[in-house]
Amino acid sequence: MPADITNALPAIVQAPMLLNHVDGYVYPNEQNLIWSTLIVVYPYITGLVAGAFIMASLVRVFNVRALAPAYRLALLTALAFLICAPLPLLFHLGHPERCYEVMMTPHVTSPMAMFGFVYAWYIMAVLLLELWLEYRRDFVVWSETTTGFRGILYRLLTVGVYDVSPPALRLDERLSHAITIIGIPSAFLLHGYVGFIFGSIKANPWWGNVLMPIIFIFSAIVSGIALCVFIYMALNWIRRRPSDDACLDAMGKFLFYALTVDATVETLDWIHRLYQAEESVQVLKQLASGKLFYTLLIMQGCLGTLLPFVLLGSTQLFRDRIAMWVRRRFYFCSALLIVGGVLAMRWNVVIGGQLFSKSLRGFNSFKLEFAGQEGTLVSLVLLALPFIILAVFIKLFLPGDGKSTPHGEAEAAKA
Amino acid sequence: MNTSLSRRRLLSTLGRAIAGVATFSAARVAKAAVQKGFVSSQAPKNYDPTKHRWQMVFDVDKCIGCGHCVDACKTENNVPRDQSHFRTWIERYIIKKPAPGSDSPRGEVLVDSPNGGMNGFPDNLVPREEILKSFFVPKLCNLCEHSPCVQACPVGATFDSPDGAVLVDPNYCIGCGFCVQACPYGCRFINPDTRTAEKCTLCYHRITRGLKPACVEVCPTEARIFGDLKNPVPDDPIQAFIQKNKVFTLKPHLGTEPRVLYANLDKEVR
Amino acid sequence: MRRFKLPPQILRLVLLTIAIVASYSIARAWLTPASFHEYGWYRGDAIRELASRTPQYAGRKACAECHDDEVHKLAKGEHKTIGCESCHSAGQAHADNPDIKLPKPSDKDCMGCHQLLAGRPKFLKQITLKDHYTGHRCVECHVPHQPSEVP
Repeated sequence: MPADITNALPAIVQAPMLLNHVDGYVYPNEQNLIWSTLIVVYPYITGLVAGAFIMASLVRVFNVRALAPAYRLALLTALAFLICAPLPLLFHLGHPERCYEVMMTPHVTSPMAMFGFVYAWYIMAVLLLELWLEYRRDFVVWSETTTGFRGILYRLLTVGVYDVSPPALRLDERLSHAITIIGIPSAFLLHGYVGFIFGSIKANPWWGNVLMPIIFIFSAIVSGIALCVFIYMALNWIRRRPSDDACLDAMGKFLFYALTVDATVETLDWIHRLYQAEESVQVLKQLASGKLFYTLLIMQGCLGTLLPFVLLGSTQLFRDRIAMWVRRRFYFCSALLIVGGVLAMRWNVVIGGQLFSKSLRGFNSFKLEFAGQEGTLVSLVLLALPFIILAVFIKLFLPGDGKSTPHGEAEAAKA
Repeated sequence: MNTSLSRRRLLSTLGRAIAGVATFSAARVAKAAVQKGFVSSQAPKNYDPTKHRWQMVFDVDKCIGCGHCVDACKTENNVPRDQSHFRTWIERYIIKKPAPGSDSPRGEVLVDSPNGGMNGFPDNLVPREEILKSFFVPKLCNLCEHSPCVQACPVGATFDSPDGAVLVDPNYCIGCGFCVQACPYGCRFINPDTRTAEKCTLCYHRITRGLKPACVEVCPTEARIFGDLKNPVPDDPIQAFIQKNKVFTLKPHLGTEPRVLYANLDKEVR
Repeated sequence: MRRFKLPPQILRLVLLTIAIVASYSIARAWLTPASFHEYGWYRGDAIRELASRTPQYAGRKACAECHDDEVHKLAKGEHKTIGCESCHSAGQAHADNPDIKLPKPSDKDCMGCHQLLAGRPKFLKQITLKDHYTGHRCVECHVPHQPSEVP
């Protein structure tokens, strides 16, 4: 079987045919890929965080009332994924026991050095703070009504502040508003710096261009909103509650907008490359149509972008003529397709960028192992872990009986 | 009265803070002294990195592709002997004659580097009558003036030393691999045993003792030339090279300003 | 005059911020290696550690200390640019303890350079073994240290 088809097949099929061979010429040190599936998973996770937060901020800052039912879920999703974000990096490092060096002697010329600070800033000053201000009143209420371990947890989470008088809550609102405003550029920074890590590598023509951080940010937003759609619908299905149709329609609308912008920017990248036709365009064209045919053109392009675009576009254009139950299916399918498509995009960038030689004369092959430091198993566990954490959060902080007072409902009750 | 109590409390807190800072600083100095006691360095005693400026140049026309340099480097620096980790390697370029009916003056270009060129090159890759031109190019760290690898390192584990070498601190490197991605010349790798980044160090442990790098030592044709710009020897080969040749660098469009110079480089070399 | 009372949320957050910044500063001061910033954004000790490795190749000057006559003969012939250890492999161990013998170069070592190969410069004499003399070792007709001489 030709190597380019072999390399695109799933690992389980590929395993017996593995031959780490090289087409053309690659520098001897390039033959082994050093950034593997873990480095695919990391931008994927931070992208989901940034996207989920942006969706939540649509409620707080842009006053999109329709999205309010999913507000708390979006924030909790962002937190669950953010907690897991450093794990792929730790697993990947040659010396994870030295990871503290990134924060102790950060080399400020390196975008990677910014990870520790951006992550710390985002988790503490944006996400946790926003969640605390949102939930503060509920923590006070719950700490008084629940007993046992959960009661202790809620008491701890109040951080000793029990003032829930109207002036205090008004202050919470103002603070929360301010933090979300800071949070939007922070979310852009959280995932933008990841895009910059790739975009700053002038040695690699697939990575090192100006559009890379922009593409990463917009694909992050798309994936985050899609994830929220998926989780919102899945959670309601598990709890046998109806999804709020207005909320779903609003999510679908923003998902469509975000997808349009993302697709435009990614297409622009390709048009620009092909038009300028620099030296690297030959090897990159061969890469896209050869080794990356299935993951780029089929999974990312057709299934991850074009098909959701058609599905979501039809719900926008023909909303009146498409029944709600059909629209719900469309939203769910589009969300799944997009979530898969964005993972394919991360794969194409990270793995794809190492599949061709910097000598521009040849191609590597990538051997995806199942077990091993950077194998499929580890990646699957790391991708599943945020969902497990989210399940715990939902159990603790999103009671299905409507006892909590999410932001939107409280606002509506006041009005 | 409230104010005197609070002023006293303020002063005592301030005093305690100053005492804490002083103890902490003393503890830091003590820790550094103790650590220094445990480190016994076998570094050459009188070597001052600011008094040297190492330079490496290549004459491509003289390289015969014997691969002795690759072998010597692996021996000298304990580089893993597998086929995918090299601090230096040789590339062979074979430029074929143009295909019949083609408008180009030169034909297809083939590049190979079997095991980095360590055991030489096979003769049978292209039939001799089809070869227009062929040559060998030694490759290693280009000692960039504006190293993208140093720029990329998140912790300060790789650096430009004052004497012109670009080095990796194996006891500080976290093994993230960013520098390996950032190097346009493919001269870096992650050592599978130490799990840190590694690259040509100009045999730093040799040049600081007045010896030449191992690859220069064993090169049979003086294709590799090494010297100290700040302390040129009489009949310095570096100066002779600079005077005689028009020089090239690899990938000049990237702005890395490599200090390694090549004479007689062909346009096909990347 | 109204006493300004800090809202409890703000107070908690300010205290937390101070605590976090303080612990970060302390950690950073403690965990930064002492020799860091000696020459730049790296451990100064690294330069000394990298210079501490033991050389494996001795260099021609070291060989000349005992094998002066061979080095002199070599310097007069076509092989004058070749370092001793290029053919005789790493010699520091032998220089430290002459009882340790180095492997003897074989025909493969001669052919490693002298094999006819496209791309090798014309100043290098190259042969194809089967068209040369087969069935004899190279040193039966050639003297490596004085290539123009016969044994």
